[in-house]
Amino acid sequence: MAAKHKIIIIDDEDVVLDSCTQILEGNNYTVVTASNGTQGLKLVEEVDPDLVFVDLKMPGISGTEVLEKIAHTDPTIATVVITGYATIDSAVEAMKKGAYDFLPKPFTPDEFRMITRRGLERRRLLQETIALRKEKEVLRDNYAAIVSHELKAPLVAIQQNLYALLGEQSDNLTKSQKDRLERMKSRIDDLNKLILSWLRVLSVDINNIKGSFTNLRVQTLISKALESVEPHAIRKDIEIVTTIDDPNSSILGDEVSFTEALVNIIGNAVKYSYASSKVFVTVKGKDVVIEIEISDSGIGIPKDELANIFTDFYRGKSGQVVEGSHGLGLTISRRIVEVHGGTIAVESEPGKGTTFIIKVPALTI
Amino acid sequence: MSQQKKLLIIDDDPDFVDGIKSVLVGAKYDVDVAYNPKDGISALQTKHYDLLLLDIMMGRGAEGIMIARKMRKDPKLRELPVLIITGIREQLAFLFPGEPVHPRFVQVDELVEKPIEPQLLLDKVSALLQASEVRKTKPI
Repeated sequence: MAAKHKIIIIDDEDVVLDSCTQILEGNNYTVVTASNGTQGLKLVEEVDPDLVFVDLKMPGISGTEVLEKIAHTDPTIATVVITGYATIDSAVEAMKKGAYDFLPKPFTPDEFRMITRRGLERRRLLQETIALRKEKEVLRDNYAAIVSHELKAPLVAIQQNLYALLGEQSDNLTKSQKDRLERMKSRIDDLNKLILSWLRVLSVDINNIKGSFTNLRVQTLISKALESVEPHAIRKDIEIVTTIDDPNSSILGDEVSFTEALVNIIGNAVKYSYASSKVFVTVKGKDVVIEIEISDSGIGIPKDELANIFTDFYRGKSGQVVEGSHGLGLTISRRIVEVHGGTIAVESEPGKGTTFIIKVPALTI
Repeated sequence: MSQQKKLLIIDDDPDFVDGIKSVLVGAKYDVDVAYNPKDGISALQTKHYDLLLLDIMMGRGAEGIMIARKMRKDPKLRELPVLIITGIREQLAFLFPGEPVHPRFVQVDELVEKPIEPQLLLDKVSALLQASEVRKTKPI
């Protein structure tokens, strides 16, 4: 059986308290009463009620004040003001201040029961809303963990066995069979990375990385990023030319994320470059702002798409995928750079190439 | 020639386990498997192992962490090298807010992400075994 609903009635007239208690008696309610506001508020603290009836005109502290205090204590407690016809205006005022309903005197037992039921329903809905909102937050917070486990686990199991089979069967496989297995491996790898990116954008609060900021040398970040990008570049015979003004240029940041941003952008440059061309990574400045410029002479980005390339995967409520977007990588990169107090800009000319410019505050020692 | 090293894998995904086990067996390790934390703990307590490969995300959450915590309290198991295998590196940051991404669970440990390339797996395993040998022979 559900717990009894707790109702408090605050009124200076004993007749009202007695009759109201009587009307609700026998139902699934616990009714307690108070004859003034101070006493009533004390009860609210003690009882943690679902519903409180408050007479507006009482000696001592006013009904309005009682309402305000209740709203302050727990806004989900439903409050109903009891009022004479002459004070309808003040009832309306009270409702504006947060009272849920009003009960004009005199009232019939049925009217009182009905308002009680409605008040309790209101309380139930408010509590449910809060519970749901909390659940949503918890889900969102744990989304990364849940999804990663559920989606990644099967992929990882497949990948691990592919690795093993490739090793064990390497003497028995033809070149074409090996190639196909390698392709499978790389497709699964892509899928894995995609899941990670989605998790980042959709659920992880990127600001969390601020907690792990350390001094980072830009040179180190770039060489780490190049480690991941270079295999793709070699496959397309693209040379990545790096120039760094000052090898000691440093920033304050999170190594893993900042490297990821660089991998995304340099990776894009390689991806959209023509075979056998060059990608330039140039680091300028050292005192106030460090500028990292990544430019390619590839296919470029049309003007009308340029404005959209950093926008989110989700656009407003419709959740449409941005057409012609380069995917999530740039969105994530932008967020990462921004968390580092920086900006990212792009210049591009179709057919000629694209330049990304990352500006981040330099670390002055 | 040194004797065959005995490894224990604790991981609740049998398919993943097959994938790494075959690599390890291929490299002449003697490999035991526990598919849940409970069996894992009891295997650790009843048999001798040279190295543990431990999955972090098992069951309803990070049950692998519980094993690591138990090991840390046990004077004998504390010395066992552990290769921690995790689905997502970042998950560890969720589990230990404020701590560095790779918290040291036990004396000798390493962390790798799933999936793990066979050669990398073998390298890590032999490096950990070696590090633990060095520790044992060194006077304190």
